[in-house]
Amino acid sequence: MSDVAFRIPLVVLSDIGRVISLMFIGAGLLWILVRSLRAKEVDRRIVFLFIFIAVAAPILFPITFQERATLIVRRLFDKVESLPAGSRVLLAFDFDPAMAPEVQPMADAISRHCLTKGHKVVFMTLWATGQALLTQSLERVVKGEFPEKLDGVDYINLGFKAGNENVLNIIVTDFRMMFPTDVNGVPLDSTSIFDDIRSCKDLDLIISMGGGKPGIKEWVLYVGDRVNVPLGAGVAAVVAPQLYPYYPKQLLGLLGGVKGAAEYESELVRQYPHLEERGTPGLRMMGPQTLAHMVIMAFIVIGNISYFISRRRERKR
Amino acid sequence: MRRSTIIVMAAIFGLFILTWILRSTSLASVQEHYLIGGFKVTFSAFLTLAILSFLYKDNPFYKFAEHLFVGISAAFWMSMGFWTTIVGNLIPRLSRSLSEFFQVPYQPGSYNFVYFIPVILGIMLLMRLSSKYGWFARWPLAFIVGTFAGLNFVRYLRSDFIEQVSATFVPLLVNWQGVEHFFSNFSLSASGQFVAIVGNWVIFLGVICGIIYFFFSKEHKGAFGTASRVGIWILMITFGASFGYTVMGRISLLVGRITFLFRDWLGLIS
Amino acid sequence: MKCRSLIAFLLVLCAFTLTGAQEGIGPPDSISADSTRGDSILPPAPVGNLKAWDTDDDHGHSVTLEWEISSDDGAGQNSVLSYEIFRWTPFFMDTLKGIRNSLAQTEAYIAELQAFLPRAKKRLKVHRKGEPGVGFADSVAFYVDTIAASERWLPLHKDRLGQLRRERAQAIDMIPQAHKSYPEQGEWRKVGTALSGQTSYVDAGVKEKVSGDYLADHADYYYRVDAVTADSTIRTSSEIAGPVQSYGQFFNTGRIPVFVAVIVFTFLTVFFVTKARRGADLYVRPLAGIEAVDDAIGRATEMGKPILYVLGLGTAADIGTIASFTILGRVAKRVAEYQTKLIVPCYDPIVMTVAQEIVKSAYLDAGRPDDYYEDIVYFVTQSQFAYVAAVNGTMLRELPATNMYMGVFFAESLILAETGALAGSIQIAGTDQVAQLPFFIVACDYTLIGEELYAASAYLGREPILLGSLKAQDYAKAAVMVLALLGLIAVNLDWTAFTDLFVVAK
Repeated sequence: MSDVAFRIPLVVLSDIGRVISLMFIGAGLLWILVRSLRAKEVDRRIVFLFIFIAVAAPILFPITFQERATLIVRRLFDKVESLPAGSRVLLAFDFDPAMAPEVQPMADAISRHCLTKGHKVVFMTLWATGQALLTQSLERVVKGEFPEKLDGVDYINLGFKAGNENVLNIIVTDFRMMFPTDVNGVPLDSTSIFDDIRSCKDLDLIISMGGGKPGIKEWVLYVGDRVNVPLGAGVAAVVAPQLYPYYPKQLLGLLGGVKGAAEYESELVRQYPHLEERGTPGLRMMGPQTLAHMVIMAFIVIGNISYFISRRRERKR
Repeated sequence: MRRSTIIVMAAIFGLFILTWILRSTSLASVQEHYLIGGFKVTFSAFLTLAILSFLYKDNPFYKFAEHLFVGISAAFWMSMGFWTTIVGNLIPRLSRSLSEFFQVPYQPGSYNFVYFIPVILGIMLLMRLSSKYGWFARWPLAFIVGTFAGLNFVRYLRSDFIEQVSATFVPLLVNWQGVEHFFSNFSLSASGQFVAIVGNWVIFLGVICGIIYFFFSKEHKGAFGTASRVGIWILMITFGASFGYTVMGRISLLVGRITFLFRDWLGLIS
Repeated sequence: MKCRSLIAFLLVLCAFTLTGAQEGIGPPDSISADSTRGDSILPPAPVGNLKAWDTDDDHGHSVTLEWEISSDDGAGQNSVLSYEIFRWTPFFMDTLKGIRNSLAQTEAYIAELQAFLPRAKKRLKVHRKGEPGVGFADSVAFYVDTIAASERWLPLHKDRLGQLRRERAQAIDMIPQAHKSYPEQGEWRKVGTALSGQTSYVDAGVKEKVSGDYLADHADYYYRVDAVTADSTIRTSSEIAGPVQSYGQFFNTGRIPVFVAVIVFTFLTVFFVTKARRGADLYVRPLAGIEAVDDAIGRATEMGKPILYVLGLGTAADIGTIASFTILGRVAKRVAEYQTKLIVPCYDPIVMTVAQEIVKSAYLDAGRPDDYYEDIVYFVTQSQFAYVAAVNGTMLRELPATNMYMGVFFAESLILAETGALAGSIQIAGTDQVAQLPFFIVACDYTLIGEELYAASAYLGREPILLGSLKAQDYAKAAVMVLALLGLIAVNLDWTAFTDLFVVAK
């Protein structure tokens, strides 16, 4: 009873905070519209402030939305889901801390999904700065949430190898030539997970997550189109439009930015409700993301209205 | 420097030291080295806010953060290049004693004199720094350009040409079972027949008109010109979508940073 | 009565146990219909029409098997759970395996000794320097003896290693000969499994002779496929397929479409470059962005303001930068003729060197060598955002009438274009970085999109290689359009013969 009584004010505070921030943003946009109609300049720092409030408010007073996976995300999810337990999946963490806010949630969600399904997961990265993120993900997701999984048996961390796409050129025919040992110096031949894996051809699914070079394009060119293994991708939003031409023939599915991460998480939580308690950062980020987008759209509309009005005024003169 | 500037800077430093103390206190029960942990978080927050302060105007904090970033990234990549390429890839294949010295696992049986060739080419490339012998660098550069051109020529032709051409072989009438069936089952859902048909038409016409826009051997007049204009519309819509995706990406990064500030630094959210 | 039933039951139980105990290394060829258990899983029907052949379009060391599924797979008794693939293996392969194992052990032992010796010598040095005390003499003697023994053994083991490697090489060469001893000196060994419903299997080995998974080429292989039920002892073997030999193919016929594309594209490029070199006039349509360059230069001259030309963040080897050099030459020549000020801040030192040469010769061509000075083209920094900050500063101080951004740009593109718009300059941009095009299109007056940058370079420079390549690309585009149209018709009329031409084997 006392617990409930304590929680109620927090919930009410959160709702009040949401309402106040939305009212503030709405009133501010109206003020900007009026100023624009009066042909007065709006300092760009006001715009920055609005974006900050639009992002900060939903973080402080969470707003969440229901997500439904689109087909392009669903295909990848269904593939991971349909593979029988014990399938060999390779996850490539080809991103750096600059892309981590977008890509890390999807990387964690996919890792969680694979391990829940009982797949054998091979982790690697083509980015030097990706190795630290991979290690963090392993500590947090693999060792933290699946302590029963054994290194070398259920998963393995190959770490980083320099060489960019040339690494892919080699592992497509021989893993051991490029990765004689895992990141801890254990020879691959003495791990049971690599008993049946000689090259990328022996994998059941490859998912590359990243957004730069080397990235998905290199995986498609050097691996995906050379072996009969389905290839999926999770990318930062900037790069996503360039990869749509590869879908659906060369890419099984594509997670674009934090929206893709949120969709994947929503499907994962729908299929395995107990995973919700482990965190859904992608879904949480969609609240501030959505509000910020709405504010930007409002600015675009206001800007265009102001532009057409000022043009009409000039013509009248 | 003016007195007011000094006072402002001192006040800012004081505030950050205060947050460091508060963060360290909150971490004391959780971490062993809580002072260092608190400093890391506080310094990260300081650098984040210093970079963001550029939005107001250029200032010494932004300059400091930018120079720090540039210096550290240069040093990081130089050391990474040595430890991952030379020590990670070359030494384990060539020398047992060097592998032991650098504490990397030696790969027995992988010794091959061929590995000395990239060493020589790499040294030649470094000679670019010399004004007298800089011309040595042209040879490894030519090797790099030629190798990549050869490797990528076939791959790009396959993945970006043939596969893409065959991907435009799309049925214009998807799951067609007659006009009556089409209208009776009409829906605007993403998995519906109508959207699939429109999508395929857009793909085909978009590809053709887009290619026409980039056709330089004929002037864009008449029907060709009309198709070219349709092409540029398709391109602009694509660029608009790309712009939107980029905005989404940038906002995501901002969300990530603000989450860090509110959660890890200020402890306002769990 | 009861006693007799009990004895009968016990006898049946014993018979079953004995049958199980008599199974050898491999499973029996087949179980007869009489040896059934209490709940009667009958032996399934065998697979039919088992064929084995060398896998096509590979480097060898691989055999493909195909069969018709058992009639009890998904039908009939529906008892088939999987198929097990057996290859006849001569006992000689065990000898080879033994040699490999000995080799691996010897290599490991040598590696241990080689790792041990320097450590032991170090420890010995430490001990010798240390204070004599209890056990001191014993420790020193221990290390001395151990080091001496290791140094004696090491060359012996290395000799042994060499001998084993020779034996291995000889044994590997004898593999094809050993396989000719079928069916006497060998046995059937399982090499793989296929699930029920599957009708094919690829027995793929590696090409490395030293590997345990090496599958020799030009050896006679024999295969058998067992249909297996839930009780793995109840199975039926197929007829034997073989002898089949694996070998590599010189040409991967599955990649003929790529081969044809390479030939056609190379031919087009060589043809048009040759044509251009012979002086043929190859038409390139005018580009809006390039036509605006002259107007923009004229505007700058009238306003008495400088022109800012940014070559981008690429290196001298990037195609976008190379195209930008040609455009810079043209702009520099016009600027020299109109005696307008030109500013070219550079990101890369090599690019700066090349740009200086280009601008200098442009001034020379325009007949104004005295107007050229070194500071027109200068190096700023190789740090992305520091470079942008410097260029922004130049824009806001110098207030150029025209800004040109031609080359390779990254995240700084919008910052540059925005500041230029603030400064009131007319802006012409061109980049092949697709991600940056939206920003330039939004913020600049004219944009050369992607390939238009290369076309502009060819249009202005009129170099045979550039013009020839551009023409070849145009013809390739025309081919793409025709093929796309034909493919569309083929798909809609179900002409798979045409669409199959574009399938590239993996």
